[in-house]
Amino acid sequence: MTITRRTLIAGAGAGLGTLAFASAAQAQAAGASFMSFSFAEEANRALVQKLVDDFSARGSAMQVIGSAWGDMQRNVMLRQRSRQLPTAVQISERWLPSFAGMPEIMNLDEAVGRPALEAAIEPNVLNVGRHEGRQLALPMATGSIGMIANREVLQRAGVERVPVTIAELRTALLAVRDRIPNSVPMAMATKNPNSIPLDVLIWVWAHGGRVIDDAGKVVVDDPRTVAAFEFMTQLMRDRLIAPEIDRPDSRRLFGQGATGFYIDAPQARTFARTFSGRGEAFDAVLQPMAIPVADSSIPPVAMAWGNMVIFFRTGDAARDALAGRFAQYLISDEVQATFPPALSALPVTRAARNSPAVANDPYFSAWARATGQVRLHEIGVWSNAPELSVILSEETQAALLGQKTVAQAIAAMKPRLEASMQRRA
Amino acid sequence: MSVAPARALPSSPPVSRLAARGGLKAGERRVGWIFMVPALVAFTAVILWPFISALGLAFTRYDLRTPEPIFIGLANFRAILASPQILGSFVTTFVFVTLATVFTVAVALAWALILNQSFRGRALLRTATLIPWVLPATVAAFVWAWIFNSRFGVLNAALLSMGIIDLPQAWLSTSAGAMTAVVITKVWISVPVTTTFFLAGLQSMDREQIDAARVDGASDWHVLRDHIMPHLRPVLLVVLVLAVIGNLQQFDKIFALTGGGPVRATTVLSIEVYRLAFDSWDIGMAAAVGLLWVATIVPPAFLYLRHLLKDA
Repeated sequence: MTITRRTLIAGAGAGLGTLAFASAAQAQAAGASFMSFSFAEEANRALVQKLVDDFSARGSAMQVIGSAWGDMQRNVMLRQRSRQLPTAVQISERWLPSFAGMPEIMNLDEAVGRPALEAAIEPNVLNVGRHEGRQLALPMATGSIGMIANREVLQRAGVERVPVTIAELRTALLAVRDRIPNSVPMAMATKNPNSIPLDVLIWVWAHGGRVIDDAGKVVVDDPRTVAAFEFMTQLMRDRLIAPEIDRPDSRRLFGQGATGFYIDAPQARTFARTFSGRGEAFDAVLQPMAIPVADSSIPPVAMAWGNMVIFFRTGDAARDALAGRFAQYLISDEVQATFPPALSALPVTRAARNSPAVANDPYFSAWARATGQVRLHEIGVWSNAPELSVILSEETQAALLGQKTVAQAIAAMKPRLEASMQRRA
Repeated sequence: MSVAPARALPSSPPVSRLAARGGLKAGERRVGWIFMVPALVAFTAVILWPFISALGLAFTRYDLRTPEPIFIGLANFRAILASPQILGSFVTTFVFVTLATVFTVAVALAWALILNQSFRGRALLRTATLIPWVLPATVAAFVWAWIFNSRFGVLNAALLSMGIIDLPQAWLSTSAGAMTAVVITKVWISVPVTTTFFLAGLQSMDREQIDAARVDGASDWHVLRDHIMPHLRPVLLVVLVLAVIGNLQQFDKIFALTGGGPVRATTVLSIEVYRLAFDSWDIGMAAAVGLLWVATIVPPAFLYLRHLLKDA
């Protein structure tokens, strides 16, 4: 075939035309969207799809995008840099300081109105989404992160009482290890840098220690914190916890009766129902429990937990108004009475919390009794949380896997955390 | 005899339009450039511009707390020199590249020598050899992750059933185990293509040369050392350089298999850049490490290009 100048120009024109058509089609497709990590979880996918479908049915088309919990922050940041931010994003409460600096983030005091928010939601719940005087996140479901025991596993292991102290916990774990073959007595998160800090903080608090105090001082060499690290490494040496475990693994092991204890949010019930294959019949197996403590002078401390939604301005007035409507929809009675309880989480509005379905749910009551003090994730509250999490995870993993002694890990961790806090300042 | 008056020569002789625009060669060059434009545009947009941008970012502070990059000169490079973790990534990269390259070349050469022999089923075996190469890299990595899994892995099951170990081992949770796993996976995936290179080299060899050596009493080792290896030297050079470049760039298999862990045991430079950029959100530092990473790839790439251009 002979290529003439005319065919070349025609070909180039056709190519450019196709490109323009594809760009226009993509621009049209890029409508309002809700990015959700619950949607990426098999157990919750249908719930989120229904939530968004019901909103779309009101005439405001919304698309749902799934993103794994561990990839959520990364995906949002990447979308910001490529100017493809979704309209709304489901976040964990501890990520808010990282997102608060984004110029596109919407102030819900303006988008929804402060009076409307205060009328619907208790101030202490609403404040979890407040950052430096602005309401940047809308609480959607709330609760705390605590510990859950598997009654059937404890029974098979001959453990008659839910442990209250660290010493009792060790005894129970040894019983599970020795009497249930191929079990992981406690499914502590030991693999994923995004999951490790949560378990570490819980055990540090259970020993009365801290990693970073309220003033931002690194106190990881406090003897109580060191004792917590010794406790965790001893668990690994005694095969009471296992390497290569992430939160999704813990949930599966729990549902399959292969672990006695693990740490999670109240959503644990939904995961257990799915992974056990026994649905609601499995509820009787779940035992929410207070975090065992090193001695009776230390109160059990749980971690504040919440699913929140942040919204982004696009500059398009219609889409920004749609974001406001979606926010109002999420705290409507219709959603709050059904969606958070279906996730096994507490609703955030007064009306939904007082509804019989929530107030009379024995699981929620047991969870509330077991919670004790609730404290914020002490890494997540800092704007350099991602870097702090990486450091804490790396050094903890080094100690757990025997690459470093606890003293070496703490000695390496402290200056790294301090340097990060100094850079933040 | 009359002489016709000489015709006055015009000052500029009339030429064709083609000749006026530089002739046939120049026309071909112009068409050549026109055909190159799409590729140049794509290269500039997808490779050159991001690379230059990243080059610039290496001299900035650009993280979660700085919405726009701030020029800080060489501070990122000073921080790299002061960071045992990042310097450790260079060592890890060196270990990974060395092991993966050496084992890939050794196994592929041995396998090519076997596949070069005449035996029944050779064609089938040659075809089957390509299977690891056909598999997507992440699928291959997940296959190996399951093999090494501490709870459900085939390796533990086999060793337990043979009585070699008493308890399941967490292979991917020790530094040596994780590095061994990523090297095995990389070698398994790379051997088919490398074998193909060697096989092509072996098939171009004169059999009579080997037969003559054998008549002279040469052993297998001597045939390999004195006849086969000298013949394969150009192929070996290309394979080595390509393997080094490929292993320096390695990311997907390691990330899917170990995520750079446990701790930092398999954090090669590509993983380090990813972690800095997308876990710690320190884009400036990630760009600086990326720049040094590119610097490690330049020497083998230069060697390879020089070899190609010399043969062109």
